[in-house]
Amino acid sequence: MARVEAIEYGDRKVYPVSAFNRGVASWLERLPSVWVEGEVTELRRQERWQSVFFTLKDSADGSCLAAFMARGQFDALQLELRDGERVHVYGRAELWPSRGELRLRALAIERLGLGQHLAALERLRQKLAQEGLFAPERKRPLPRFPRRIGLVTGNDAAAKRDVITAITTRFPPARLLVAETYVQGPRAAAAIVETLRAVVAQPQVDVVILARGGGSFEDLLPFSDERVVRAVASSPVPVVSAVGHEQDTPLCDLAADARASTPTAAARLVVPDLDELVQSLERLRSGLERGARRTLELKRERVQRTGERLRAAARLRVERHRAGLEVLAAKLRALSPRATLERGYAIVRRQGQLLRSTASLALGERVEVELAEGGFAATVEEVRP
Amino acid sequence: MSTEPSFEAAEKELRQIVERLEGGAVPLEEAIALWERGEALYRLCRERLEQAEGKVEELARRVEPENPSA
Repeated sequence: MARVEAIEYGDRKVYPVSAFNRGVASWLERLPSVWVEGEVTELRRQERWQSVFFTLKDSADGSCLAAFMARGQFDALQLELRDGERVHVYGRAELWPSRGELRLRALAIERLGLGQHLAALERLRQKLAQEGLFAPERKRPLPRFPRRIGLVTGNDAAAKRDVITAITTRFPPARLLVAETYVQGPRAAAAIVETLRAVVAQPQVDVVILARGGGSFEDLLPFSDERVVRAVASSPVPVVSAVGHEQDTPLCDLAADARASTPTAAARLVVPDLDELVQSLERLRSGLERGARRTLELKRERVQRTGERLRAAARLRVERHRAGLEVLAAKLRALSPRATLERGYAIVRRQGQLLRSTASLALGERVEVELAEGGFAATVEEVRP
Repeated sequence: MSTEPSFEAAEKELRQIVERLEGGAVPLEEAIALWERGEALYRLCRERLEQAEGKVEELARRVEPENPSA
């Protein structure tokens, strides 16, 4: 380790800047070499420079780290790195003595391989899932009749045309607002986020389709970028993710309110079928007429039934009275002396008074006898007690 | 109804009216009023569909992020 000489001012030790830097630099040299992951930005390479310079950026929070690599070594790697690419850099911290700046001396650079991309993706998926970004209760229903449909798509003519055709075929009156963006490569993620924001900021845009045709795993990576996923989740209007094919599941699919694996499926989600809609309207109209008629019919039937019940009730009442009367008449008949007379009994009266005993009867007295049929007068000839 | 309902709202209301009428439990006068309202909604929906013109616009500004980190 280089010895750092201090200047003495009385009992104060003072280090010149160069000595301080050298001191820190030699201390830093003791740190081990490690792998650092980040996005490459601001790559600067010039023939007359001995080193290639770049910045490594943390895509999650934007933290930056200056890095460099010997130009010969960098060229030998033949990485053809572009801005925004994710890499693993093996290196160690160094202090650039002339500027007092910390830099990462890169000893090796590796572009992220498929396995590493997958692992990173899985970590991000778990992190965002834990935040609840993919929760089913976050999903919003799509409008049945969007006033305007935003379409964020690449400039790949076929993919764009397929979505537009699918929508306008199904629903000719659809109004679309199409915005092209980069959908591939290191700049895509930021561009997609910007474009999405610009589209939803337009008036009357009620739903947005994020569309991209099929592509390789790497091609679709921007749609799993944390910034894109968050932008989709926080969009003020529902987002339909129509990225890649059925087997692809970029993370934006999970954050979107709905997912479509084909342009036709996307169209089915965002617009009604015009023919079906017209038919359904016609059905509703006949339902309206049928319903009104039915209501009328029901009312009429009810009035009729009520009338019938009224009449029946009246009839029943009369009938009941008549039956009661018959019973009374029968009772009356049973109780009248007439019935007794008909069984052979006779009523005997003296001067209009009913005779119940012979006690007061005298010989020769005149009595009136009444039978069931007719009557006669008689004179008493004999009295028995 | 001072403001005209959206197509979506009109179609929904029409559907509800039909359901109520088909239930048959609505008082007569109300049923007639509902019918008239339903017819008006139906006409409104049809007019909306016939008047609507499909349109595909391009967002004029091609978004070029100045700073990819923004």
